[in-house]
Amino acid sequence: MTDTPALSIGAPGFDVDRLVADLQATVDRKMADGLYADARVARAERTNLVHLRASDDFIAFYLTCLREAVFVDISDYEIHERRRFLGPLLVAFKKTVWKLLKFYTYRLWSQQNQVNGLVVTALEGMEDQTASKLAALEQRIAELEAQTRPHGS
Amino acid sequence: MAPERLAFVCPRFAGDGAVGGAETLLKNLAARAARLGFAVDFLTTCAQSHYTWDNTLPPGRKTIDGMDVHFFPVDERNTADFLRIQQAIDRGHPVPPGDELHWLRNGVCSTALMAHLDRHAAGYRAILTGPYLFGLAWFAATAHPGKTLLIPCLHDEPFARLACMKRLFDEVAGCLFNSLAERELAAELFGIPDERSRIVGMGLDPFDADPAAFAARRGLSAPYVLYSGRREPLKGTPLLCDYLNTFRERTRRDIHLVFTGSGAIDAPPSLRPHLLDAGFVSEQEKHDAMAGALAFIHPSVNESFGIVLLEAFLAGTPGLVHAQSRVLVQQCRAANAGFWFRHYPDFETQLLFLLDHPDARAELGKRGRDFVAREYAWPAIEQKFIQALDALRPVRSSPEHPQPQPKGTP
Repeated sequence: MTDTPALSIGAPGFDVDRLVADLQATVDRKMADGLYADARVARAERTNLVHLRASDDFIAFYLTCLREAVFVDISDYEIHERRRFLGPLLVAFKKTVWKLLKFYTYRLWSQQNQVNGLVVTALEGMEDQTASKLAALEQRIAELEAQTRPHGS
Repeated sequence: MAPERLAFVCPRFAGDGAVGGAETLLKNLAARAARLGFAVDFLTTCAQSHYTWDNTLPPGRKTIDGMDVHFFPVDERNTADFLRIQQAIDRGHPVPPGDELHWLRNGVCSTALMAHLDRHAAGYRAILTGPYLFGLAWFAATAHPGKTLLIPCLHDEPFARLACMKRLFDEVAGCLFNSLAERELAAELFGIPDERSRIVGMGLDPFDADPAAFAARRGLSAPYVLYSGRREPLKGTPLLCDYLNTFRERTRRDIHLVFTGSGAIDAPPSLRPHLLDAGFVSEQEKHDAMAGALAFIHPSVNESFGIVLLEAFLAGTPGLVHAQSRVLVQQCRAANAGFWFRHYPDFETQLLFLLDHPDARAELGKRGRDFVAREYAWPAIEQKFIQALDALRPVRSSPEHPQPQPKGTP
């Protein structure tokens, strides 16, 4: 990790508030640059979403991650075997079974990919719609407040 | 002159087979009160599991740590009703007042304990009870509100928003909070003014720990992060497993995850070879594990104190806590000894920082150790406790209040 803020350890002004703020600013910059748009990040946040409700930007970021995760490639499934005894033989057997089953599973897989893609597109659309509606409402409120504000204040 | 008597009322007695932060806090506070010269009755139940509340200990009285510990059987419970109402509360659905009481009665109650308390209440200078959301504490407090000092261990959760809880906080003589953040939460939820409460918390005894001992004993060669306590979704342990698994995949850094405590661990299969579940360990082994960890991670957002985080500070290890837990964040801030993460990107950056900046990690650890040794030494806590007893003066008489009814109906 090289992209971390400079820090004077043991300096009189050393405090975690400032350090956390610096680290978070680094994170925010990286997020804006797309460095965390990663399906693995979306998966990692599955139990944290409930805590992020209040954050305006996070849902948009999460949808970007989800977009990365939405299409599953049926061909990149790696078969591992941890058992040492007969391990290579078991892997070969499972690969054969996997190939034979592909004929049946491919249709399901492609349908699921289509559904995933449509769901994420719908969610992105809803998010965009809501965001623009909110922005318009906020602008309208600001205009109305400006009109009703007493002169000279 | 006979010593003044104090009663502590708690659903479980912390010890073999029963571990919980609130129970540990009440037990330690009671033991310290006994050492200060108070005659202490610790009234608790025969249950050890907070899931089943089965009476697994024999009823009766024992002298433990200078206290008279009285074990009473838990009343029969209507678990189906309890779970039905609890689920509704948890989902934020409106619950009628009758159902709130029914939920409390079928959580954990003890008619035998209440009868004992009623017989002896007049002789107690104060009744200290908690945590707030258990029927046992609620009925004990509302039966003798003028004598009661509540140690609520309050969390920001749906149960805290029930009408019966507002009544509980309104009626008791005072509250002993564990942290400033908890006191602020109580002020927001119930409008408790500062003069009706004090911040006391719990002391921690200093300990020696060997940072290399745990890894050597358990055959750990890579750096590790640690979580100690109950493993359950409410404590955020699935989140910790997901985050560490993603951290390993994205950064390719070899870092292990160590758990001590009890409960099932919901971890992705790819993390399992790099996860060590040490289960229940001795205090010494826990402290060694803390001292050797890169960081102590506390992903829970529902904490009123965070004893294990303070223990980790005392072991010289920085904390990484969830930003939504204002108590834990406040402790990291006050000690200058930990970071708080909002989401995975924060977590990754902060953990990498600790891995790559051993000097900063050591400085954070030193600050944490100094802070806990200064602020949470038992003499300081004992002084706060005595001052709270004097200032809150629990002396009002008891009005009529509902009593727990075995096999009660709403």
